[in-house]
Amino acid sequence: MTGRLLWSWLFVVLVFLYVPIGVVIVASFNAGRFLLNWDGFGLAAYAAALSNEAIRSALWLSVRVALATALLSVVIGGLAGLALAKATGRWTRPFMGVVLLILVAPEIMVAVAYLIFFVRLDLNWGFARLVIGHSIFGSAVVALLVRARVGALNPSLEDAAADLGAPPLRVFRDVTLPLTAPAVVAGGLLAFTFSLDDVVIASFVSTSGSTTLPAYIFSALRTGLRTELAAIATLALGATLFILAVTVGLLRRADGGHAAIVRTMAGGDHG
Amino acid sequence: MPHRQGPRPGARWLAGAAPAAPAAAWYITFFVLPLAIILVYSFGYKPPSGIAQTSIALDGLSLDNYRATATPLFAELFLMTLRTAVVGTLLCLLVAFPVAYALATRIPPRWRGVALAAIIVPFWTSFLLRTFAWRILLAANGPLSDALQSLGFMAGPLRVLDTMGAVQLGVVYNYLPLMIFPIFVALEDMDPALREASMDLGAGHVRTFLHVTLPLAMPGVSAGLAIVFVPLAGEYVTPAILGGVRGAMAGNLIASQFLEAQNWALGAAQAVVLVALILLVVGVAWSAGVALGVLSRRLWHIDADAAA
Repeated sequence: MTGRLLWSWLFVVLVFLYVPIGVVIVASFNAGRFLLNWDGFGLAAYAAALSNEAIRSALWLSVRVALATALLSVVIGGLAGLALAKATGRWTRPFMGVVLLILVAPEIMVAVAYLIFFVRLDLNWGFARLVIGHSIFGSAVVALLVRARVGALNPSLEDAAADLGAPPLRVFRDVTLPLTAPAVVAGGLLAFTFSLDDVVIASFVSTSGSTTLPAYIFSALRTGLRTELAAIATLALGATLFILAVTVGLLRRADGGHAAIVRTMAGGDHG
Repeated sequence: MPHRQGPRPGARWLAGAAPAAPAAAWYITFFVLPLAIILVYSFGYKPPSGIAQTSIALDGLSLDNYRATATPLFAELFLMTLRTAVVGTLLCLLVAFPVAYALATRIPPRWRGVALAAIIVPFWTSFLLRTFAWRILLAANGPLSDALQSLGFMAGPLRVLDTMGAVQLGVVYNYLPLMIFPIFVALEDMDPALREASMDLGAGHVRTFLHVTLPLAMPGVSAGLAIVFVPLAGEYVTPAILGGVRGAMAGNLIASQFLEAQNWALGAAQAVVLVALILLVVGVAWSAGVALGVLSRRLWHIDADAAA
């Protein structure tokens, strides 16, 4: 009885989660210009979206910012996570506190803080503003995941390597790094997705001429609700799923399970 | 060989902390400092128009902005925001817990990764577009309204759009995975033998749940509550898309001070007030949780540490 209730609930929740996605995908095939008026089935929205110069440059900027953010986050956050897991100084507690603060801080407050700060610093290069703003959150995510993963590693693995004569750098390269890989990849993916999808920070720190795709969509939604936006969203979803499938496929061979990645992303990893 | 506990001497300590140095510098410069500046700005005032380069004047610091925020007009908005955040968080918990429970206990381990992915995938769609999809779904002449009317549940068209109701739905939708994941992780960690033992000893489903499952899942529940409530209270995009004027939250107010009113001092003060209120609610909830834990230990001899 409980089992059946649980399964029905799971089904209901999945429907709840997917109906809006269905709406977006269906809306992208609206041959009309405006999202709220169904004008027949067609690919006009996709054609319009892909030929729109503003959309193309916004997309290009978003991708570049997301890549830079992911890279920076992985390096800064990965190193921090490693240090947090291994070190025993008293600095680890306040540092973790800041990391957690970054992760839960309301975006509006952070975005406003960045705006003020960048204006104060007279930093007007849009790309840098965006990457800085996004990498704070991104690196915090990576640090958290790497710390959890490294912390859960069996210490005898590294000790065994050391006992067998490997110098510390070799131990790191051949034992620690491969075992930490799922956390680094998961963190990088999360940082990339966060940056790509971020609206609030992007809306506040973008300068004119450097608008990210979400910032563009947000302002476009306010004015004319066009079907091109649904087309972009569907394309983006398709691309993300594709990248995810490829990454998972690649890592499956390396680590033996997509579950490891998803589990690490879910925040818990126990071997 | 056991790992060392306690701080290590001199150079080793530095070597251990060194990898975190870039992150520390990054966070101090681009997180702590900007937040400190907001705090300072909250005591400033808006300069007379046309003069300043930035929309802030700091020569006469005062609490005026805080006084302005305490007026009924703004105070009511902040209270509505907190209400939406608390209700939204609790709704998320109610919806998420059975899902996490089903995932952790009913789905075979082989398929759990797939199930989790199935829950994440909707969130790989643009946040804006899927929130906007709710505008289409909840429209007065939209599919949900038509369905409810033809089924007899409603006499007239659905009028929830552009009110706090739509925002409430939207935030639950957007924050659901954040609640599901920590609870799932905590439940998955739990040894199923504990539940079986409890039932073998004669406790029914409900008692097993209340006395074994729930206490062991509490760390996950607390984490979920925290990571949903705090960002939710500062929501800006969802109320902007679904709420209209009546469904505005504190985030929209703060944003308007910066983007429209150009009153950075007031905006900064309101941001500080929002954070203070969030911390207040979290503090109250945390104390309540501690009290509940003490109470349950005394009255029902539930001690999760002993069971684990």
